[in-house]
This record gives sequence, structure tokens and C-alpha cells, in this order.
Amino acid sequence: MKVSTEHKAENKICDSLDVLNCVNGIGKDTKSIQGAKVKNAYGPHIRIILSSALLQMKQSFGRSMFKFCMLAYPLFYGFTLYMLYKEHSSTDIMAYVMLGSAVSSLWGTISFSSAGDINRERFMGALEVIFNAPSKFYYVMLGKVLGNTVLGIGSMVISILFISLLSGSAFQVIHVGPFIGVTLLGVVSFVAVGMMLSGLLAISRSTTILMNIMDYPIMILCGIAFPIHILPIWTLPFSYMLSPTHFLALARMCVGGIYSKDAFYHHLIWLMGLTILYVLLSLFAYRMIDINARKDATLGVV
Amino acid sequence: MNDVIVVEDLRRDYISTVGILKKSKKRVEALKGLSFSVKSGEVFGLLGPNGAGKTTTIKILTTLLIPTSGNAMVLGHKTFGEERLLRPKINFIFGGERSLYWRLSALDNLKYFSDLYQIEPKVQRERIPMLLKMVGLEERQHHKVETFSKGMKQRLQIARGLINDPEILFLDEPTIGLDPSGAIELRNIVKKLSNEGKTILLTTHYMQEADEMCDRIGIIAKGQLVGLGTPKALKASCGKDTLEEVYLDLVGAQYES
Repeated sequence: MKVSTEHKAENKICDSLDVLNCVNGIGKDTKSIQGAKVKNAYGPHIRIILSSALLQMKQSFGRSMFKFCMLAYPLFYGFTLYMLYKEHSSTDIMAYVMLGSAVSSLWGTISFSSAGDINRERFMGALEVIFNAPSKFYYVMLGKVLGNTVLGIGSMVISILFISLLSGSAFQVIHVGPFIGVTLLGVVSFVAVGMMLSGLLAISRSTTILMNIMDYPIMILCGIAFPIHILPIWTLPFSYMLSPTHFLALARMCVGGIYSKDAFYHHLIWLMGLTILYVLLSLFAYRMIDINARKDATLGVV
Repeated sequence: MNDVIVVEDLRRDYISTVGILKKSKKRVEALKGLSFSVKSGEVFGLLGPNGAGKTTTIKILTTLLIPTSGNAMVLGHKTFGEERLLRPKINFIFGGERSLYWRLSALDNLKYFSDLYQIEPKVQRERIPMLLKMVGLEERQHHKVETFSKGMKQRLQIARGLINDPEILFLDEPTIGLDPSGAIELRNIVKKLSNEGKTILLTTHYMQEADEMCDRIGIIAKGQLVGLGTPKALKASCGKDTLEEVYLDLVGAQYES
């Protein structure tokens, strides 16, 4: 019996001997391609980013929890906010219910999901494989965060459409151009936060605890559902250090009207400055990963 | 044959925190001055009990861990400091069912890992079907990995490990948990790869497997090398008939000391 099993397996493998020969033959092509790669240095990086983004979207859609967060959560959150604001003016509904739930969905999907993804990769055992590949780890993770960004924008649109239907008022923007610009800047800022958190998570597993503790306080500090000036004065410095605070302030101005250019530029400069800071911190975190994660053995699970 | 892996006085410590309220740091010496070398085209087996330092050694050699001290060179490159040059030339497969994206198909997994290894689309189009055929997953290439049996996942891992046509393949307990026919299939793939000139460093707990597949074997216990040589030479030097007896003899002596 044992002999027959071995024989069967041997035959199966013998069939693939030709395949192996071909595989080795192709290996020679690879070497010439590696030489050609120098001519188009950015091509592979773009391919890695796109490929990682696509993989991330497929993976995320395969997870029931993500589907809930992307599709159902905005509806529940939007409905709750609408119940709080339903007696208010349509401007308040747009500023706090539509924008609040839209930004909350976008923030959750891009920043927090992206950071959590590194933990999922770690438990799947894929983190070590992607880290060990010749591609830059930063580009791989950037692709994953961008994949979440596409889904996050979808979630944001669902929020706005749902509340528009619920409240019977359309989402109207007075300053369309600045709104598009501010939204793009906000997305870039959220991507940078996602990269920064995922980088810290790769270095230290304890970041997960910090991230989960901070999720709701951040929502409150950013003034997603109400203006930040109703919060105690000592919380303002914390609010100011979070880019969603400024993104929301700018988006609300674009929606309701820019009555003070000074206030608009004030928040715009803060948003741009914080985005640059987050990008720099994320680059620093990924630079640290190369040494620290390999020193402290945080890429895998024991 | 030249040495493609050279390990000299390799040491690796892990520092872990113990205690909840009163925390203290604990240092564990996983490798205590390990030295060995592997020749080009050789199948080299690392044997040892759990916690002996086999996986740590493989992780250092595959650039996933930094050694505390000592020297680890693979294909003439330092595993710490020259990893950019080394990574395109090697690959590894850790035992078990991990290191794959279960919610994606076998094909999607291989395409993604080819992109990570910056393999040109033209080469991918030829290589991926060949690898799928080699590991017998051609028919199931569009199925999600989560629907695969353990053996199928292991074979897909082999295909993933060969995606960059590596010069050296590191296998950490590749047949763990496989049924006998699955293990035979996997061992045959490894043998064929060896016949094609690939250098293979593997760890295993199965002595028969090591005896059958490895040209040379290194036995480690408590982070130190306690035996090195061909299976035949090891048996002769210990005066034993089987590799299992050699293993028990050498490892047992180390633990008694």
C-alpha cells in the first residue's frame, strides 16, 4: 500500500519535471530583466502599489467585519447623528450629520483599518513574507492603505447618500473647487496617519492597545459630531494636533460658506503642516522598522 | 563546490518582559555560537528539539532577524547590511498553513507575490501556470485558498517560494501536519528541486525524512551544534543504525550536560 502511494506521488512529480526545467530556464530571463529594471526604476514601485491596493480591496471585501464597517456602520452612525440633529437647520445637518458621519467612515477605514491590517498580516504569517521581498516595505503598505482609501471613499459616499435620503435634503456645497481640494488634502492626511500607525504597529505590538483606546477620544477631539469649542479648553491642543479637526472645519466652511478667509487659511495651513508632519513621521517609522522589527522580532507571532 | 551559506559563531538573544505589575526583563539565548556551512546544490538539514534555535537560524539567514553577534553570509552577502542584494536570490517557506492570503485564489496569491519580487508580467504569465502545474494545483487555481486542504496549501507555499526562482530555498518544517501521501509529494518536489541544482536548507522533526532527503545534517540543541555530517557519517560516528538513535544520543547528551 505504501509503495503504491509513493509510486503515485512519484509519477505526479515526474510529470512536472519538464515544468521544473522550464522554470529554471525562465530564471535566466529574470536576470536579464533585473538589468532592464534600472531603465524604468519607478515602474516596479507603481506596480507594487497598485497590486497591493488591489489585493487589499479583495481581501477586505472577503471579510464580513470589513463589509459591516464599510456598509452598515455608516448607516447606523449616520442615523444616530441624524436623530440628534433632526430638529436643527439643514445647514447643521449637512455640517455635522453628513460631514461628521462621512469623515468618521473615511477616518475609520483609512487610518484605523490600515493600521490594523498590519496585525492581520502578522497573524496570517504574510508580514514576514512581504517584508522579506525585494520590494520596499513602505510601498507595499502604501498600496494597502490606498486600497482602503478607495473603499473609504465609497463608505463616505454611502453615508452622504443615506443621510440625504433620510433628511430629504441634498448635499450642497457652496465652494465646490476648494471642497474638492480640501477633501483630497484630507485623504492624503488620513493616508499618512494610516502609514504612521501601521509603521508603529510593525515596530511594537503594543501600539494596538493604544490605537483601540484612542479611537473614540479622537472622534470626540476632532469635533466630528459637534464643534470643538464646546470641549474643555485644555483639550484644544490635542484637537489641533489631529488633522480631521482642520479637515472638518475646512469642509464645513466649503459647505456652509467661507465667511472668514483668515479662518479658512488658518485651518488650511494647519492641515497642510500636520499632513507633512505625519508623512515625515511615517517615513521615519518605516526607516526604524528595518532595524527594530528585526532586532525585536516583531514581524511574526510566537 | 563552493560554500553558499557560511555561519560563524552565530549568537542570538531574545529579551522578553515578564510579570504584570512588577515587570522585569529576561534574556533568552536562542543561539550560542553556531557555526556551519552549506555547499552549493546541497540539501542541508537542521535537526533539533523545539526551541533548539532552528527557526531562529533560518530567520537570520533569510534576513528576518538580526544576529546579536557572529557572522552569517548567504551567497556572499551579509544577512544584515546587504539584504537588498540578497533578498531577490532567496526565498523561504515556513511550515503550516500560514504566509498565504486565504481569501484570495491560488492564482491571485502567486500573482501578488510575483509583483512583490518585481517579476515582469511577461515572465509571470509563463512561470505561474508552470508552478501551479508543478505543485498540482492547476485545476484549483481560481479557488480561494481557504477551501484548500492543508497539503494543497503547503504545495501552494512551495510554488510561492519558487516564484522568484531562488538560488537558495529555506524550508522550515515543510511537511509538518501533512498526511503521508502529502508529505511524500512534498518531499519529491524538494528532491526534484535539488536535482535541478537548488540549494536547500530545511528543518524537520522527522528523522526518516532527514535521512532520505539531506546530503548533510546539522543537529542543534540548546542553540549549539552537537553533530554535523552526512547521515551515514553521523550514524557511523555514534555507532548507531538509525538517525533517530543518533539524534537521541546527541541531543540527550546535551540536555544532560
